[in-house]
Amino acid sequence: MSGERFEDVWRREVPHVLAALTRRYGDFDGAEDAVQEALATAAREWPRTGPPDSPRSWLVRVASRRLVDAWRSDLARSAREQAYTAREDGPPPEAQAADDSLQLLLLCCHPALPRASQVALTLRAVGGLTTQQIAAAFLVPTATMAQRVSRAKAALRSNGAHFDQLPAAELPARLAAVQQVLYLVFNEGYTSSGGDHLLDVSLTREAIRLTRELRARLPDDPEVAGLLALMLLTDARSAARTDARGDLIPLERQDRSRWDRDAVAEGVALVQAALPDGTVGPFQLQAAIAAVHAEATTSAETDWLQITMLYRMLARVAPGPMVTLNLAVATGMAHGAAAGLAVVEPLRTDPALARNHRLPAVRAHLLELAGQPDEARAEYAAAARLTTSVPEQRYLNARASSLAER
Amino acid sequence: MKYVILIHSNPQPWGHPTPNFLPEYEALSPAEREQLDKEFEAFLGELHAAGELVSGEALGDPTTSKLYRASSHDDPPVATDGPYSESKEHLAGFFLIDVASQERAEEIAVRFSGPGETVELRPAMWSGGDEA
Repeated sequence: MSGERFEDVWRREVPHVLAALTRRYGDFDGAEDAVQEALATAAREWPRTGPPDSPRSWLVRVASRRLVDAWRSDLARSAREQAYTAREDGPPPEAQAADDSLQLLLLCCHPALPRASQVALTLRAVGGLTTQQIAAAFLVPTATMAQRVSRAKAALRSNGAHFDQLPAAELPARLAAVQQVLYLVFNEGYTSSGGDHLLDVSLTREAIRLTRELRARLPDDPEVAGLLALMLLTDARSAARTDARGDLIPLERQDRSRWDRDAVAEGVALVQAALPDGTVGPFQLQAAIAAVHAEATTSAETDWLQITMLYRMLARVAPGPMVTLNLAVATGMAHGAAAGLAVVEPLRTDPALARNHRLPAVRAHLLELAGQPDEARAEYAAAARLTTSVPEQRYLNARASSLAER
Repeated sequence: MKYVILIHSNPQPWGHPTPNFLPEYEALSPAEREQLDKEFEAFLGELHAAGELVSGEALGDPTTSKLYRASSHDDPPVATDGPYSESKEHLAGFFLIDVASQERAEEIAVRFSGPGETVELRPAMWSGGDEA
Protein backbone atom coordinates (compact mmCIF):
# COMPACT_ATOMS: atom_id res chain seq x y z
CA MET A 1 0.00 0.00 0.00
CA SER A 2 2.95 2.31 -0.48
CA GLY A 3 1.92 5.72 -1.73
CA GLU A 4 -1.67 5.13 -0.72
CA ARG A 5 -2.95 7.37 2.03
CA PHE A 6 -4.05 5.62 5.23
CA GLU A 7 -7.41 7.30 4.87
CA ASP A 8 -7.96 5.82 1.40
CA VAL A 9 -7.24 2.37 2.80
CA TRP A 10 -9.64 2.45 5.69
CA ARG A 11 -12.37 4.25 3.79
CA ARG A 12 -12.32 1.53 1.13
CA GLU A 13 -12.86 -1.05 3.87
CA VAL A 14 -15.75 0.78 5.57
CA PRO A 15 -18.69 -0.85 3.75
CA HIS A 16 -17.23 -4.34 4.26
CA VAL A 17 -16.56 -3.79 7.95
CA LEU A 18 -19.97 -2.26 8.55
CA ALA A 19 -21.71 -5.01 6.59
CA ALA A 20 -19.87 -7.70 8.55
CA LEU A 21 -20.88 -6.22 11.90
CA THR A 22 -24.47 -5.59 10.86
CA ARG A 23 -24.85 -9.11 9.52
CA ARG A 24 -23.40 -10.57 12.68
CA TYR A 25 -25.05 -8.42 15.38
CA GLY A 26 -28.12 -7.14 13.56
CA ASP A 27 -27.73 -3.63 14.98
CA PHE A 28 -27.06 -1.32 12.02
CA ASP A 29 -27.29 1.83 14.11
CA GLY A 30 -24.83 0.64 16.77
CA ALA A 31 -22.53 -0.94 14.20
CA GLU A 32 -22.40 2.29 12.23
CA ASP A 33 -21.29 4.24 15.29
CA ALA A 34 -18.77 1.54 16.19
CA VAL A 35 -17.23 1.64 12.71
CA GLN A 36 -16.83 5.42 12.97
CA GLU A 37 -15.05 4.96 16.29
CA ALA A 38 -12.81 2.30 14.79
CA LEU A 39 -11.91 4.74 11.99
CA ALA A 40 -10.99 7.37 14.57
CA THR A 41 -8.77 4.80 16.30
CA ALA A 42 -7.14 3.94 12.98
CA ALA A 43 -6.50 7.62 12.34
CA ARG A 44 -4.70 7.84 15.69
CA GLU A 45 -2.78 4.58 15.57
CA TRP A 46 -1.86 3.72 11.98
CA PRO A 47 0.40 6.72 11.40
CA ARG A 48 2.30 5.73 14.56
CA THR A 49 2.40 1.93 14.30
CA GLY A 50 2.13 1.56 10.56
CA PRO A 51 -0.88 -0.04 8.85
CA PRO A 52 -1.91 -3.50 10.01
CA ASP A 53 -1.30 -6.49 7.71
CA SER A 54 -4.99 -6.91 7.11
CA PRO A 55 -6.71 -3.52 7.54
CA ARG A 56 -10.11 -5.12 7.14
CA SER A 57 -9.80 -7.67 9.95
CA TRP A 58 -8.13 -5.03 12.15
CA LEU A 59 -11.11 -2.72 11.64
CA VAL A 60 -13.64 -5.53 12.15
CA ARG A 61 -11.92 -6.51 15.41
CA VAL A 62 -11.70 -2.96 16.78
CA ALA A 63 -15.24 -2.04 15.70
CA SER A 64 -16.69 -5.25 17.19
CA ARG A 65 -14.99 -4.45 20.47
CA ARG A 66 -16.41 -0.92 20.40
CA LEU A 67 -19.88 -2.22 19.67
CA VAL A 68 -19.81 -4.71 22.52
CA ASP A 69 -18.36 -2.07 24.86
CA ALA A 70 -21.17 0.29 23.93
CA TRP A 71 -23.77 -2.32 24.77
CA ARG A 72 -22.09 -3.13 28.07
CA SER A 73 -21.87 0.47 29.16
CA ASP A 74 -25.49 1.01 28.36
CA LEU A 75 -26.98 -0.22 31.62
CA ALA A 76 -30.49 0.57 30.56
CA ARG A 77 -30.18 -2.16 28.00
CA SER A 78 -29.11 -4.84 30.42
CA ALA A 79 -31.65 -7.30 29.13
CA ARG A 80 -30.43 -6.95 25.58
CA GLU A 81 -26.85 -7.21 26.74
CA GLN A 82 -27.33 -10.81 27.73
CA ALA A 83 -28.63 -11.66 24.31
CA TYR A 84 -25.70 -9.98 22.59
CA THR A 85 -23.08 -11.39 24.95
CA ALA A 86 -24.32 -14.81 24.01
CA ARG A 87 -23.71 -14.01 20.35
CA GLU A 88 -20.20 -12.82 21.13
CA ASP A 89 -19.13 -16.38 21.74
CA GLY A 90 -19.50 -17.33 18.11
CA PRO A 91 -16.80 -16.96 15.47
CA PRO A 92 -15.65 -13.41 14.64
CA PRO A 93 -17.73 -11.62 12.03
CA GLU A 94 -16.64 -12.28 8.51
CA ALA A 95 -16.27 -9.57 5.92
CA GLN A 96 -16.23 -10.92 2.44
CA ALA A 97 -19.62 -10.67 0.79
CA ALA A 98 -19.03 -9.23 -2.66
CA ASP A 99 -22.01 -6.90 -2.66
CA ASP A 100 -21.56 -5.23 0.74
CA SER A 101 -21.30 -1.78 -0.81
CA LEU A 102 -24.39 -2.27 -2.90
CA GLN A 103 -26.45 -3.59 0.01
CA LEU A 104 -25.42 -0.64 2.14
CA LEU A 105 -26.13 1.89 -0.62
CA LEU A 106 -29.61 0.43 -1.02
CA LEU A 107 -30.22 0.62 2.73
CA CYS A 108 -28.97 4.21 3.03
CA CYS A 109 -31.30 5.27 0.20
CA HIS A 110 -34.41 3.84 1.87
CA PRO A 111 -37.51 5.72 0.68
CA ALA A 112 -38.53 6.63 4.26
CA LEU A 113 -35.51 8.96 4.48
CA PRO A 114 -35.51 12.54 3.25
CA ARG A 115 -32.99 13.05 0.46
CA ALA A 116 -30.62 15.13 2.63
CA SER A 117 -30.49 12.30 5.16
CA GLN A 118 -29.89 9.70 2.44
CA VAL A 119 -26.92 11.75 1.28
CA ALA A 120 -25.48 12.18 4.78
CA LEU A 121 -25.86 8.52 5.71
CA THR A 122 -24.45 7.27 2.40
CA LEU A 123 -21.31 9.37 2.78
CA ARG A 124 -20.80 8.16 6.35
CA ALA A 125 -21.80 4.49 6.15
CA VAL A 126 -20.54 3.71 2.65
CA GLY A 127 -18.01 6.47 2.08
CA GLY A 128 -16.47 6.32 5.54
CA LEU A 129 -16.44 10.10 5.92
CA THR A 130 -16.86 11.65 9.36
CA THR A 131 -19.87 13.80 10.12
CA GLN A 132 -17.48 16.72 10.46
CA GLN A 133 -16.05 16.17 6.98
CA ILE A 134 -19.51 15.87 5.43
CA ALA A 135 -20.67 19.01 7.23
CA ALA A 136 -17.65 20.95 5.98
CA ALA A 137 -18.25 19.78 2.42
CA PHE A 138 -21.89 20.91 2.53
CA LEU A 139 -21.04 24.12 4.41
CA VAL A 140 -23.30 23.48 7.38
CA PRO A 141 -22.39 23.14 11.06
CA THR A 142 -21.42 19.66 12.25
CA ALA A 143 -24.44 19.64 14.58
CA THR A 144 -26.80 20.15 11.63
CA MET A 145 -25.22 17.29 9.69
CA ALA A 146 -25.25 15.10 12.80
CA GLN A 147 -29.02 15.67 12.99
CA ARG A 148 -29.40 14.45 9.41
CA VAL A 149 -27.41 11.31 10.17
CA SER A 150 -29.31 10.52 13.36
CA ARG A 151 -32.62 11.33 11.65
CA ALA A 152 -31.70 8.84 8.93
CA LYS A 153 -30.83 6.11 11.41
CA ALA A 154 -33.98 6.72 13.43
CA ALA A 155 -36.11 6.53 10.28
CA LEU A 156 -34.47 3.23 9.31
CA ARG A 157 -35.12 1.86 12.78
CA SER A 158 -38.74 2.92 12.94
CA ASN A 159 -39.40 1.54 9.46
CA GLY A 160 -37.88 -1.78 10.42
CA ALA A 161 -35.45 -1.54 7.49
CA HIS A 162 -33.23 -4.57 7.33
CA PHE A 163 -29.82 -5.24 5.97
CA ASP A 164 -30.68 -8.03 3.62
CA GLN A 165 -31.72 -8.67 0.05
CA LEU A 166 -34.42 -6.38 -1.27
CA PRO A 167 -37.46 -7.94 -2.90
CA ALA A 168 -36.80 -7.91 -6.65
CA ALA A 169 -39.81 -5.66 -7.26
CA GLU A 170 -38.35 -2.89 -5.08
CA LEU A 171 -34.88 -2.98 -6.55
CA PRO A 172 -35.33 -0.70 -9.60
CA ALA A 173 -36.85 2.18 -7.62
CA ARG A 174 -34.23 1.86 -4.89
CA LEU A 175 -31.40 1.74 -7.40
CA ALA A 176 -32.75 4.88 -9.02
CA ALA A 177 -32.64 6.58 -5.60
CA VAL A 178 -29.03 5.45 -5.13
CA GLN A 179 -28.12 6.96 -8.48
CA GLN A 180 -29.89 10.22 -7.63
CA VAL A 181 -28.03 10.45 -4.31
CA LEU A 182 -24.64 9.82 -5.94
CA TYR A 183 -25.40 12.38 -8.64
CA LEU A 184 -26.47 14.91 -6.04
CA VAL A 185 -23.20 14.40 -4.14
CA PHE A 186 -21.28 14.86 -7.37
CA ASN A 187 -23.15 18.02 -8.31
CA GLU A 188 -22.76 19.54 -4.89
CA GLY A 189 -19.02 19.05 -5.20
CA TYR A 190 -18.81 20.19 -8.80
CA THR A 191 -20.93 23.33 -8.58
CA SER A 192 -19.21 24.43 -5.35
CA SER A 193 -15.72 24.00 -6.71
CA GLY A 194 -15.65 27.53 -8.08
CA GLY A 195 -15.75 28.76 -4.52
CA ASP A 196 -12.76 29.84 -2.52
CA HIS A 197 -13.19 27.49 0.41
CA LEU A 198 -10.57 24.79 0.83
CA LEU A 199 -11.90 21.37 1.67
CA ASP A 200 -10.16 18.24 2.79
CA VAL A 201 -12.82 16.17 1.10
CA SER A 202 -13.68 16.26 -2.56
CA LEU A 203 -17.33 15.35 -3.03
CA THR A 204 -16.80 14.87 -6.76
CA ARG A 205 -14.01 12.37 -6.15
CA GLU A 206 -16.10 10.61 -3.52
CA ALA A 207 -19.14 10.41 -5.82
CA ILE A 208 -17.00 8.99 -8.63
CA ARG A 209 -15.40 6.46 -6.28
CA LEU A 210 -18.77 5.24 -4.99
CA THR A 211 -20.23 5.10 -8.50
CA ARG A 212 -17.28 2.98 -9.58
CA GLU A 213 -18.08 0.67 -6.65
CA LEU A 214 -21.70 0.53 -7.78
CA ARG A 215 -20.66 -0.22 -11.33
CA ALA A 216 -18.37 -3.01 -10.17
CA ARG A 217 -21.45 -4.62 -8.53
CA LEU A 218 -23.75 -3.96 -11.50
CA PRO A 219 -21.52 -4.09 -14.59
CA ASP A 220 -24.49 -4.73 -16.91
CA ASP A 221 -26.63 -1.77 -15.84
CA PRO A 222 -26.39 0.82 -18.64
CA GLU A 223 -27.70 3.67 -16.45
CA VAL A 224 -24.99 3.11 -13.84
CA ALA A 225 -22.45 3.20 -16.67
CA GLY A 226 -24.15 6.36 -17.96
CA LEU A 227 -23.98 7.98 -14.53
CA LEU A 228 -20.28 7.20 -14.16
CA ALA A 229 -19.63 8.49 -17.69
CA LEU A 230 -21.56 11.70 -16.99
CA MET A 231 -19.52 12.33 -13.84
CA LEU A 232 -16.20 11.62 -15.57
CA LEU A 233 -17.00 13.78 -18.60
CA THR A 234 -18.20 16.67 -16.43
CA ASP A 235 -15.35 16.42 -13.96
CA ALA A 236 -12.85 16.32 -16.85
CA ARG A 237 -13.58 20.03 -17.41
CA SER A 238 -12.95 21.11 -13.84
CA ALA A 239 -9.46 22.56 -14.43
CA ALA A 240 -10.82 24.72 -17.26
CA ARG A 241 -14.08 25.91 -15.72
CA THR A 242 -12.75 28.69 -13.48
CA ASP A 243 -10.27 31.48 -14.08
CA ALA A 244 -7.51 32.63 -11.73
CA ARG A 245 -10.01 34.79 -9.87
CA GLY A 246 -12.38 31.87 -9.32
CA ASP A 247 -14.95 33.15 -11.82
CA LEU A 248 -16.81 30.62 -13.95
CA ILE A 249 -15.83 30.20 -17.59
CA PRO A 250 -18.73 29.16 -19.84
CA LEU A 251 -18.27 25.95 -21.82
CA GLU A 252 -17.79 27.72 -25.15
CA ARG A 253 -14.88 29.78 -23.83
CA GLN A 254 -13.03 27.06 -21.91
CA ASP A 255 -9.47 26.16 -22.87
CA ARG A 256 -10.16 22.61 -23.99
CA SER A 257 -6.50 21.62 -23.85
CA ARG A 258 -6.92 21.75 -20.07
CA TRP A 259 -9.63 19.11 -20.06
CA ASP A 260 -8.56 15.81 -18.53
CA ARG A 261 -8.13 13.66 -21.66
CA ASP A 262 -7.97 10.36 -19.71
CA ALA A 263 -11.26 11.06 -17.98
CA VAL A 264 -12.80 12.08 -21.33
CA ALA A 265 -11.58 8.88 -23.00
CA GLU A 266 -12.94 6.71 -20.19
CA GLY A 267 -16.28 8.54 -20.20
CA VAL A 268 -16.69 8.37 -23.98
CA ALA A 269 -15.86 4.64 -23.99
CA LEU A 270 -18.46 4.02 -21.26
CA VAL A 271 -21.15 5.90 -23.19
CA GLN A 272 -20.39 4.10 -26.41
CA ALA A 273 -20.55 0.74 -24.70
CA ALA A 274 -23.76 1.55 -22.79
CA LEU A 275 -25.85 3.31 -25.43
CA PRO A 276 -26.73 0.42 -27.76
CA ASP A 277 -27.69 -1.59 -24.69
CA GLY A 278 -31.43 -1.81 -24.03
CA THR A 279 -33.47 1.16 -22.82
CA VAL A 280 -31.79 4.53 -22.95
CA GLY A 281 -32.09 6.31 -19.60
CA PRO A 282 -31.55 9.95 -18.68
CA PHE A 283 -28.00 9.51 -17.35
CA GLN A 284 -26.86 7.82 -20.57
CA LEU A 285 -28.39 10.63 -22.62
CA GLN A 286 -26.82 13.35 -20.51
CA ALA A 287 -23.49 11.51 -20.71
CA ALA A 288 -23.89 11.23 -24.49
CA ILE A 289 -24.44 15.00 -24.67
CA ALA A 290 -21.33 15.61 -22.54
CA ALA A 291 -19.44 13.22 -24.84
CA VAL A 292 -20.43 15.20 -27.94
CA HIS A 293 -19.11 18.36 -26.28
CA ALA A 294 -15.95 16.54 -25.24
CA GLU A 295 -15.27 15.34 -28.77
CA ALA A 296 -15.27 18.85 -30.25
CA THR A 297 -11.73 20.24 -30.17
CA THR A 298 -13.09 23.79 -30.35
CA SER A 299 -16.53 25.05 -29.40
CA ALA A 300 -17.17 26.05 -33.04
CA GLU A 301 -16.87 22.37 -34.02
CA THR A 302 -19.63 21.31 -31.63
CA ASP A 303 -22.16 19.04 -33.31
CA TRP A 304 -25.25 20.97 -32.17
CA LEU A 305 -27.54 18.98 -34.45
CA GLN A 306 -26.66 15.80 -32.59
CA ILE A 307 -26.94 17.53 -29.21
CA THR A 308 -30.39 18.80 -30.18
CA MET A 309 -31.49 15.27 -31.05
CA LEU A 310 -30.16 13.94 -27.77
CA TYR A 311 -32.00 16.64 -25.79
CA ARG A 312 -35.20 15.77 -27.66
CA MET A 313 -34.78 12.16 -26.56
CA LEU A 314 -34.06 13.31 -23.02
CA ALA A 315 -37.20 15.46 -23.06
CA ARG A 316 -39.15 12.30 -23.88
CA VAL A 317 -37.70 10.02 -21.15
CA ALA A 318 -37.26 12.69 -18.47
CA PRO A 319 -39.36 15.74 -19.35
CA GLY A 320 -38.93 18.88 -17.27
CA PRO A 321 -38.44 22.63 -17.63
CA MET A 322 -34.63 22.37 -17.22
CA VAL A 323 -34.39 19.89 -20.08
CA THR A 324 -36.54 22.19 -22.25
CA LEU A 325 -34.22 25.11 -21.46
CA ASN A 326 -31.20 23.10 -22.53
CA LEU A 327 -33.04 21.96 -25.63
CA ALA A 328 -33.75 25.62 -26.43
CA VAL A 329 -30.04 26.50 -26.23
CA ALA A 330 -29.07 23.56 -28.44
CA THR A 331 -31.86 24.33 -30.92
CA GLY A 332 -30.72 27.95 -31.04
CA MET A 333 -27.20 26.84 -31.94
CA ALA A 334 -28.33 24.22 -34.48
CA HIS A 335 -31.28 25.92 -36.15
CA GLY A 336 -30.92 29.59 -35.30
CA ALA A 337 -31.90 31.84 -32.40
CA ALA A 338 -35.55 32.20 -33.50
CA ALA A 339 -36.06 28.43 -33.35
CA GLY A 340 -34.49 28.36 -29.88
CA LEU A 341 -36.71 31.18 -28.66
CA ALA A 342 -39.76 29.30 -29.91
CA VAL A 343 -38.79 26.28 -27.79
CA VAL A 344 -38.47 28.43 -24.69
CA GLU A 345 -41.68 30.41 -25.25
CA PRO A 346 -44.13 28.07 -23.42
CA LEU A 347 -41.90 28.14 -20.32
CA ARG A 348 -42.48 31.86 -19.83
CA THR A 349 -45.85 31.15 -18.25
CA ASP A 350 -44.67 28.13 -16.25
CA PRO A 351 -45.08 29.03 -12.56
CA ALA A 352 -42.33 26.55 -11.61
CA LEU A 353 -39.82 28.82 -13.36
CA ALA A 354 -41.21 32.16 -12.22
CA ARG A 355 -38.20 32.86 -9.97
CA ASN A 356 -35.60 30.75 -11.72
CA HIS A 357 -32.68 32.65 -13.25
CA ARG A 358 -32.04 30.02 -15.94
CA LEU A 359 -35.10 31.05 -17.96
CA PRO A 360 -34.11 34.73 -18.47
CA ALA A 361 -30.43 33.68 -18.82
CA VAL A 362 -31.25 31.35 -21.72
CA ARG A 363 -33.56 33.89 -23.31
CA ALA A 364 -30.88 36.57 -22.94
CA HIS A 365 -28.35 34.38 -24.73
CA LEU A 366 -30.77 33.59 -27.57
CA LEU A 367 -31.92 37.22 -27.90
CA GLU A 368 -28.29 38.31 -28.12
CA LEU A 369 -27.73 35.74 -30.88
CA ALA A 370 -30.85 37.01 -32.62
CA GLY A 371 -29.40 40.52 -32.71
CA GLN A 372 -31.80 42.04 -30.18
CA PRO A 373 -29.36 43.62 -27.70
CA ASP A 374 -31.91 45.69 -25.79
CA GLU A 375 -34.16 42.75 -25.02
CA ALA A 376 -31.11 40.61 -24.27
CA ARG A 377 -29.78 43.19 -21.83
CA ALA A 378 -33.06 43.29 -19.92
CA GLU A 379 -33.11 39.49 -19.66
CA TYR A 380 -29.47 39.32 -18.51
CA ALA A 381 -30.28 41.87 -15.81
CA ALA A 382 -33.38 39.90 -14.75
CA ALA A 383 -31.34 36.69 -14.57
CA ALA A 384 -28.63 38.43 -12.51
CA ARG A 385 -31.24 39.54 -9.98
CA LEU A 386 -32.62 36.02 -9.59
CA THR A 387 -29.47 33.93 -9.31
CA THR A 388 -28.06 33.11 -5.88
CA SER A 389 -24.61 32.25 -7.23
CA VAL A 390 -22.10 35.07 -6.74
CA PRO A 391 -19.94 34.22 -9.81
CA GLU A 392 -23.00 33.73 -12.02
CA GLN A 393 -24.37 37.05 -10.91
CA ARG A 394 -21.06 38.70 -11.77
CA TYR A 395 -21.08 37.03 -15.20
CA LEU A 396 -24.69 37.96 -15.99
CA ASN A 397 -24.22 41.57 -14.87
CA ALA A 398 -21.11 41.78 -17.05
CA ARG A 399 -23.07 40.52 -20.08
CA ALA A 400 -25.80 43.07 -19.42
CA SER A 401 -23.39 45.98 -19.15
CA SER A 402 -21.40 44.90 -22.22
CA LEU A 403 -24.61 45.17 -24.24
CA ALA A 404 -25.38 48.57 -22.73
CA GLU A 405 -22.07 49.98 -23.94
CA ARG A 406 -22.80 49.36 -27.58
CA MET B 1 -30.13 25.80 -0.62
CA LYS B 2 -29.72 28.22 2.21
CA TYR B 3 -32.22 30.89 3.12
CA VAL B 4 -32.47 33.41 5.93
CA ILE B 5 -35.76 34.09 7.61
CA LEU B 6 -35.70 37.65 8.90
CA ILE B 7 -38.12 38.62 11.63
CA HIS B 8 -39.15 42.27 11.46
CA SER B 9 -40.98 43.32 14.54
CA ASN B 10 -41.63 46.13 16.98
CA PRO B 11 -42.10 44.56 20.41
CA GLN B 12 -42.98 47.01 23.21
CA PRO B 13 -40.89 46.87 25.29
CA TRP B 14 -38.23 45.14 23.23
CA GLY B 15 -38.20 41.47 24.20
CA HIS B 16 -38.12 37.89 22.98
CA PRO B 17 -39.96 35.93 21.85
CA THR B 18 -41.14 39.06 20.07
CA PRO B 19 -44.82 38.12 19.70
CA ASN B 20 -45.17 38.15 23.49
CA PHE B 21 -44.65 41.91 23.42
CA LEU B 22 -47.11 42.75 20.66
CA PRO B 23 -50.71 43.92 21.14
CA GLU B 24 -51.93 41.36 18.59
CA TYR B 25 -50.60 38.58 20.79
CA GLU B 26 -51.87 40.09 24.03
CA ALA B 27 -55.36 40.23 22.54
CA LEU B 28 -55.43 36.42 22.37
CA SER B 29 -56.80 34.30 25.16
CA PRO B 30 -54.28 32.53 27.41
CA ALA B 31 -55.30 29.20 25.89
CA GLU B 32 -54.74 30.51 22.36
CA ARG B 33 -51.33 31.92 23.32
CA GLU B 34 -50.31 28.65 24.90
CA GLN B 35 -51.43 26.78 21.81
CA LEU B 36 -49.45 29.09 19.50
CA ASP B 37 -46.31 28.82 21.65
CA LYS B 38 -46.55 25.07 21.83
CA GLU B 39 -47.04 24.68 18.09
CA PHE B 40 -44.11 26.93 17.28
CA GLU B 41 -41.85 25.24 19.81
CA ALA B 42 -42.71 21.84 18.31
CA PHE B 43 -42.11 23.19 14.80
CA LEU B 44 -38.65 24.48 15.73
CA GLY B 45 -37.89 21.06 17.21
CA GLU B 46 -38.92 19.36 13.95
CA LEU B 47 -36.73 21.70 11.88
CA HIS B 48 -33.78 20.99 14.13
CA ALA B 49 -34.34 17.24 14.10
CA ALA B 50 -34.59 17.24 10.31
CA GLY B 51 -31.22 18.99 10.00
CA GLU B 52 -32.88 21.93 8.24
CA LEU B 53 -32.32 24.57 10.92
CA VAL B 54 -28.74 25.77 10.69
CA SER B 55 -28.76 28.59 13.22
CA GLY B 56 -30.73 31.48 14.60
CA GLU B 57 -30.19 34.53 16.76
CA ALA B 58 -32.46 36.91 18.63
CA LEU B 59 -31.21 40.49 18.36
CA GLY B 60 -30.92 43.15 21.06
CA ASP B 61 -32.95 46.33 21.30
CA PRO B 62 -32.32 48.50 18.23
CA THR B 63 -31.42 51.42 20.50
CA THR B 64 -28.31 49.46 21.52
CA SER B 65 -26.99 49.24 17.98
CA LYS B 66 -24.14 51.33 16.74
CA LEU B 67 -24.02 52.46 13.13
CA TYR B 68 -20.87 53.28 11.20
CA ARG B 69 -20.91 55.16 7.96
CA ALA B 70 -18.03 56.49 5.92
CA SER B 71 -18.92 59.00 3.24
CA SER B 72 -15.73 58.34 1.30
CA HIS B 73 -12.69 56.15 1.37
CA ASP B 74 -10.51 58.85 2.94
CA ASP B 75 -12.90 59.88 5.71
CA PRO B 76 -13.01 57.86 8.89
CA PRO B 77 -16.43 56.31 9.45
CA VAL B 78 -18.80 58.36 11.58
CA ALA B 79 -20.45 56.45 14.39
CA THR B 80 -24.02 57.14 15.41
CA ASP B 81 -26.33 55.39 17.82
CA GLY B 82 -29.20 53.36 16.39
CA PRO B 83 -31.84 52.99 15.28
CA TYR B 84 -31.00 54.48 11.89
CA SER B 85 -34.58 54.97 10.87
CA GLU B 86 -37.85 55.62 12.59
CA SER B 87 -39.47 52.67 10.89
CA LYS B 88 -42.05 50.90 12.94
CA GLU B 89 -40.45 47.48 12.58
CA HIS B 90 -36.86 46.52 13.18
CA LEU B 91 -34.84 43.44 12.49
CA ALA B 92 -35.50 41.47 15.65
CA GLY B 93 -33.89 38.15 14.83
CA PHE B 94 -33.02 35.73 12.09
CA PHE B 95 -32.90 32.04 11.31
CA LEU B 96 -30.68 30.32 8.77
CA ILE B 97 -32.18 27.25 7.13
CA ASP B 98 -30.76 24.77 4.63
CA VAL B 99 -33.49 23.08 2.61
CA ALA B 100 -34.02 21.11 -0.57
CA SER B 101 -36.15 23.66 -2.45
CA GLN B 102 -37.68 27.12 -2.61
CA GLU B 103 -41.09 25.54 -1.95
CA ARG B 104 -39.85 24.02 1.30
CA ALA B 105 -38.30 27.35 2.32
CA GLU B 106 -41.63 29.12 1.74
CA GLU B 107 -43.50 26.46 3.66
CA ILE B 108 -41.17 27.03 6.63
CA ALA B 109 -41.17 30.83 6.44
CA VAL B 110 -44.97 30.93 6.66
CA ARG B 111 -44.80 29.09 9.97
CA PHE B 112 -42.55 31.82 11.38
CA SER B 113 -45.06 34.54 10.71
CA GLY B 114 -47.16 35.52 13.69
CA PRO B 115 -49.77 38.24 14.14
CA GLY B 116 -48.34 41.77 14.06
CA GLU B 117 -44.96 40.87 12.53
CA THR B 118 -43.38 40.78 9.08
CA VAL B 119 -41.34 37.77 8.14
CA GLU B 120 -38.94 38.07 5.23
CA LEU B 121 -37.54 35.09 3.32
CA ARG B 122 -34.30 35.78 1.41
CA PRO B 123 -32.09 33.30 -0.42
CA ALA B 124 -28.46 33.26 0.68
CA MET B 125 -25.86 33.68 -2.08
CA TRP B 126 -23.21 31.01 -2.59
CA SER B 127 -19.77 31.09 -4.11
CA GLY B 128 -20.17 28.24 -6.61
CA GLY B 129 -22.30 27.99 -9.71
CA ASP B 130 -23.21 26.14 -12.88
CA GLU B 131 -21.04 26.90 -15.86
CA ALA B 132 -23.77 26.81 -18.47
